[in-house]
Amino acid sequence: MINPFPFRIQRKVGIHCVPVSTVLGRKTVELNDLKMDPSSPVLPASILEQTALQLGCRPTDKKLALHLDEKDELKHLRECFYVPKVKDLPPTDLTLVNGEESCVYFIGNSLGLQPRKVRTYLDEELDKWARTGVHGHFNGKRPWALADECLLDMMAELVGAKRQEIALMNGLTVNLHLLMLSFFKPTPRRYKILLEARAFPSDHYAMESQLRLHGLDVERSMVLLQPRQGEETLRTEDILSVIEKEGDSIAVILFSGVQYYTGQLFDIPRITRAGQKKGCLVGFDLAHAVGNVELHLHDWGVDFACWCSYKYLNSGAGGLAGAYIHEKHSKSIKPALIGWWGHEFKTRFLMENKLQLSEGINGFRLSNPPILLVCALHASLEVFSQTTMKALRRKSVLLTGYLEYLIKHYYSEDKTNPEKPFVRILTPSQIEERGCQLTLSFSLPIKSVFNELEKRGVACDMREPNALRIAPVPLYNSFLDVHRFIEILGSAITSSKQTANNTVLSGSY
Amino acid sequence: MDPSSPVLPASILEQTALQLGCRPTDKKLALHLDEKDELKHLRECFYVPKVKDLPPRAKRQEIALMNGLTVNLHLLMLSFFKPTPRRYKILLEARAFPSDHYAMESQLRLHGLDVERSMVLLQPRQGEETLRTEDILSVIEKEGDSIAVILFSGVQYYTGQLFDIPRITRAGQKKGCLVGFDLAHAVGNVELHLHDWGVDFACWCSYKYLNSGAGGLAGAYIHEKHSKSIKPALIGWWGHEFKTRFLMENKLQLSEGINGFRLSNPPILLVCALHASLEVFSQTTMKALRRKSVLLTGYLEYLIKHYYSEDKTNPEKPFVRILTPSQIEERGCQLTLSFSLPIKSVFNELEKRGVACDMREPNALRIAPVPLYNSFLDVHRFIEILGSAITSSKQTANNTVLSGSY
Repeated sequence: MINPFPFRIQRKVGIHCVPVSTVLGRKTVELNDLKMDPSSPVLPASILEQTALQLGCRPTDKKLALHLDEKDELKHLRECFYVPKVKDLPPTDLTLVNGEESCVYFIGNSLGLQPRKVRTYLDEELDKWARTGVHGHFNGKRPWALADECLLDMMAELVGAKRQEIALMNGLTVNLHLLMLSFFKPTPRRYKILLEARAFPSDHYAMESQLRLHGLDVERSMVLLQPRQGEETLRTEDILSVIEKEGDSIAVILFSGVQYYTGQLFDIPRITRAGQKKGCLVGFDLAHAVGNVELHLHDWGVDFACWCSYKYLNSGAGGLAGAYIHEKHSKSIKPALIGWWGHEFKTRFLMENKLQLSEGINGFRLSNPPILLVCALHASLEVFSQTTMKALRRKSVLLTGYLEYLIKHYYSEDKTNPEKPFVRILTPSQIEERGCQLTLSFSLPIKSVFNELEKRGVACDMREPNALRIAPVPLYNSFLDVHRFIEILGSAITSSKQTANNTVLSGSY
Repeated sequence: MDPSSPVLPASILEQTALQLGCRPTDKKLALHLDEKDELKHLRECFYVPKVKDLPPRAKRQEIALMNGLTVNLHLLMLSFFKPTPRRYKILLEARAFPSDHYAMESQLRLHGLDVERSMVLLQPRQGEETLRTEDILSVIEKEGDSIAVILFSGVQYYTGQLFDIPRITRAGQKKGCLVGFDLAHAVGNVELHLHDWGVDFACWCSYKYLNSGAGGLAGAYIHEKHSKSIKPALIGWWGHEFKTRFLMENKLQLSEGINGFRLSNPPILLVCALHASLEVFSQTTMKALRRKSVLLTGYLEYLIKHYYSEDKTNPEKPFVRILTPSQIEERGCQLTLSFSLPIKSVFNELEKRGVACDMREPNALRIAPVPLYNSFLDVHRFIEILGSAITSSKQTANNTVLSGSY
């Protein structure tokens, strides 16, 4: 069994998992050992400090960023994407920044950048449509009748599933509902749904409506797991404890893989095992996890999952979504809602109205696939297939660790200097508990800082009143991006304070 | 061809040919009709492979563009199909498009209903291919009290029959049924007035007559009379009011009507393709398209009848039975032709000669001359090529027989 988490140690029953670094201590790193091997006990901070030492500079110097980019084995993948120029971003203020520079794009967790090949592949299919019309269904590189299936191998690789366990179709929430209609079968005893509090709205509304569909009371049947008082993220032990306590009455556990707000990466295998041990079915919304962290859905025994493809999978707004059902269910779990695309391919076009349902998730497909969306996703998955999730994760751990290091260096709280702005990082500090994203909670109102950031070509996400979500993505972000962000953040905060002061001064006349 | 005019296409064709001094079967007539076609310029808006009325007339707030047709059909049925012990049946046409058939079966099973007992499939009369409106109305009258939902296609995919949507709707509603239509073959093909006809719900795909590409963005409609009473069964964030949707407070503010049925954010690439297509439609009207279509399909019918009517004195002569109703108000563009010979090799010969059409074994072809981009010359050429195809096909059959005997 592959162990994807960098710091896990062999577990003995009854022993809490502790960070390896406190057990094994730090290890000296070679200059060329800049790869963050997820199983390595070395923390990013150590690598950064030791590398800087060897370079004869400080960890906060640009020199380190340039060096790390130089050594980055994945740096060539940035060329596979269109990175917007600062001058093309609508909020840019050209008096403040050089418009010809690439923007600092840290919002791939909301909308991924466009792979350059998208246009090429769209042209291929538009050309085929123009030249051959209906014949495109069964001819060419991507026969439209089989278009969704031509991407399955690449997609399966990214989620750790077998080809027959996944389908590409619809949007995430549609897929979530299609899965829940088959997996959520409440009984008088076992009728609850467990999910995280502050789940993404679509998941929340979906679960509410699923409960109501069965005539269940949302208050009683929807178990929302809150963090402890004063904490932002969920402790795995608390999740497991609720499962242990209430599991007998829980029908489905539906968690995000990575929490959209806090960036927390949940312990998918442990939650799955614990839930199944209590007789629950366990599913995950992987919108923020796929293409971000390593997933092994099949090996982990996850019952079902769904994801969208326009975030870390860079397939464009509203891109083709995914769905997964473990093959152990392929003969027992049937789709509740059926359409012609769930009919076996061999006889599907005979139109005899005698259903021959495909096994597993394939039987859940309803409509024929949208070829234009397949093109965009194809372009993106091809970039992923030039590397591995393991390699991406290695870079990501160091990249996000670098961001964290600089944030802590410049924005730690200084109780002796209450005027100094500081940042609390809401995202867990443990590498195995997070993906690319860090959620930063500022000690000052964030709206005008965010505006100043945007004027200077930074693309990130703001959550009022105080938070920014920053997601440096290994496929196309660089260490220099992170360094630039920190510099620009400093200017933005200064500008923001000046504006606030000016407002105060002008207000007093 | 004013659809409300009492003049039949055949009359127009014969009279025009007379004035031109040619026969109705001559290419000259086709060229003349194309010359006079007010919509011929629209063909230029399309890639034709070598060899404002915005449809379907509803209020903006009554429609949504999302998902695929069958997904939308299910989303609608989950709200409209609420069986009770007394009223639990679904009425649809026999030989409905497979997706509709499977969808209705699964909707019934979802409610624990027996498909045999609860799915009323309306068969044509013995020896007939299409449904008589009087028979549809009669079944609604007889069984309507136990029918929860009537779900018909607008235009039947196989026969090309255009159903009398307003009459079926009125009759069904009079018996307390909810009435919906799968408009896959109707939208962009015939004139639709869903709102005025009081149709309860409808859905359609956009890759057929709406030309938006394989798997294009589908549509859904709910009459505004239901906007406060019919709620979506399945909810997602895109059904939340736009103003507060991105606050992420997990307190649902559901949009009214069909908009609340939206689940996921829209796929921009599919919007682009549909946009391009709808823009062409907005350069004309469904009325004008229908006028051309009636004459164009009438022209096809005329030539088929001229060359392929049954001749009892000449049993060797191949003939065609047109399965599609002959009344203009009972059909759209498409004619379904049933041949007196096996169609597979004829179809192969047609394809070899650059004709793209649909074959339904063992005997039928579906031919759909579309007003937006097909011409009268297309129809004339088709008839010529059909002749060659049939001849070639017979020769091949003969050769096979001959060679088989050695």
